[in-house]
Amino acid sequence: MKKTVDISLPVGPVHPLFKEPCRIKCETRGEYVLSAEVELGYVKKGIERIMRGRPWQEVMFLAERVCGICSVIHNYTFIEAVEKISGITPPERAAYLRVIVNELDRMQSHLLANYSYCYTIEHETLAMYILNLRETVMDQLELITGARITCSYIVPGGVRWDLPDEKEESLRVALDHIDSELRRFVRIFETGPFIALRSKGIGILTKEAAEAAHAVGPTARASGISVDCRSDHPTYQALGFTPVVRQEGDNYARIMARFEEVFQSTNLIRAALSRMKPGSVRGGGVIRAGAIQYRAEAPRGELLYDLVTDEYGRILEIAIQTPSIMNTQVCAHEMLTDAESAADITSIFISSDPCIACTER
Amino acid sequence: MSIIQRLKNTVRSRSIHVCYVNVGSCNGCDIEIIACLSPRYDIEQYGIYVHNNPREADVLLITGAFSPQWEDKLKQLWEKIPHPKVAIAIGNCPISGCVFNRPETLVDPPVSKHIPIAAEIPGCPPRPTEIISTILSLAPLIFKDYEEKKK
Repeated sequence: MKKTVDISLPVGPVHPLFKEPCRIKCETRGEYVLSAEVELGYVKKGIERIMRGRPWQEVMFLAERVCGICSVIHNYTFIEAVEKISGITPPERAAYLRVIVNELDRMQSHLLANYSYCYTIEHETLAMYILNLRETVMDQLELITGARITCSYIVPGGVRWDLPDEKEESLRVALDHIDSELRRFVRIFETGPFIALRSKGIGILTKEAAEAAHAVGPTARASGISVDCRSDHPTYQALGFTPVVRQEGDNYARIMARFEEVFQSTNLIRAALSRMKPGSVRGGGVIRAGAIQYRAEAPRGELLYDLVTDEYGRILEIAIQTPSIMNTQVCAHEMLTDAESAADITSIFISSDPCIACTER
Repeated sequence: MSIIQRLKNTVRSRSIHVCYVNVGSCNGCDIEIIACLSPRYDIEQYGIYVHNNPREADVLLITGAFSPQWEDKLKQLWEKIPHPKVAIAIGNCPISGCVFNRPETLVDPPVSKHIPIAAEIPGCPPRPTEIISTILSLAPLIFKDYEEKKK
């Protein structure tokens, strides 16, 4: 009898398609993937250990450097957690400005994720279109906050500076540009026969499996689970937020869910701009002692900050739970297992939008 | 100067292959390298190609404070790159450790302790234009007349 040889196929840690170092160990029989395991630990810095015992003024900047792609949401969540402890309420205009910056950050993160996916399935033209559109978003972020990445715009009691009328006008023009351009790219993505061939029905994550493995973010929402922490946030509730949900649960659905969320973000920013009234953007406040668990929706899913402060404003204990830890595991155990072809490993992995720097901190 | 050297100079001036490795960064610098690929900055018009494959690389871009997992792996990666080669440190992290170089941290900067670094771009993170201009100004210094200089 001929013996079937099982091959252990390592992918990474330095791989042409990965933005960050991580290793996927796959057990394969021929092209068929029997099982997969994601090996992490290449970018562990011990941020939570550094944060412990430091004043919030330092931890604020450290929290932002947990992840470079979604830095605004880390800033946002940490500051809101500290505000909840101390009973500080930001002015209304500042709350809307926070939403605007957060949604701009989400847009650039989703566009980067979709760029990576298109690059992985070797559709470089569409990838470059999307990456160029991302630069428009980055320009607006830089215009409003003063930096492309790690802008530390949100501070306790408000935001750093106001949005003048001329910048608001440029933001509106940019949003219209993004909407019209992205509609074209989504049409290319939807109707491209080779994209459909490489995306539809590949890396399927069923609703039951996603619920059992606690998938979060666009990965869960593409499998029919309506989970989004933004629907619990008062400012988003005022803007009439409803999550984007798709039912297919394959690579195609995950990418389309992200495209739809970019459109949703532009609409949220427009709604926030129209509701904003002139006023103060920076109130005061003192950080007090207390403990809290605070959740917010990062571009990749639910982000949790669990922190304890003392009366001097120092952070005594902090634990961060980032979305990618769930998504990489659900990717390895549900999506990659029983994949038809070893060539799909990278595209399935990238479609779950892993952020390794977030995961390991 | 021999003909073969002149030929090598011509070819090398328009074909610089770049590999980037993240040895414990927050991703900020990595996505600024990716932003260089976008048509806005268009790194390929200068003949720089980002392949992220050490076997065909000329330039190694290093981001991140040095995390202990890379102790032996970065040296192995550096040895895989064929001569002539050059390493560029991107961002504050490989230079000083930036915000991560504090008591109780796990990182061990600077990266120049482990492999030779030819140029450093400070910034948290540096702009894509700075990355492109550094590669462009450094490459002729290293690659031009490489064999003649070695003699």
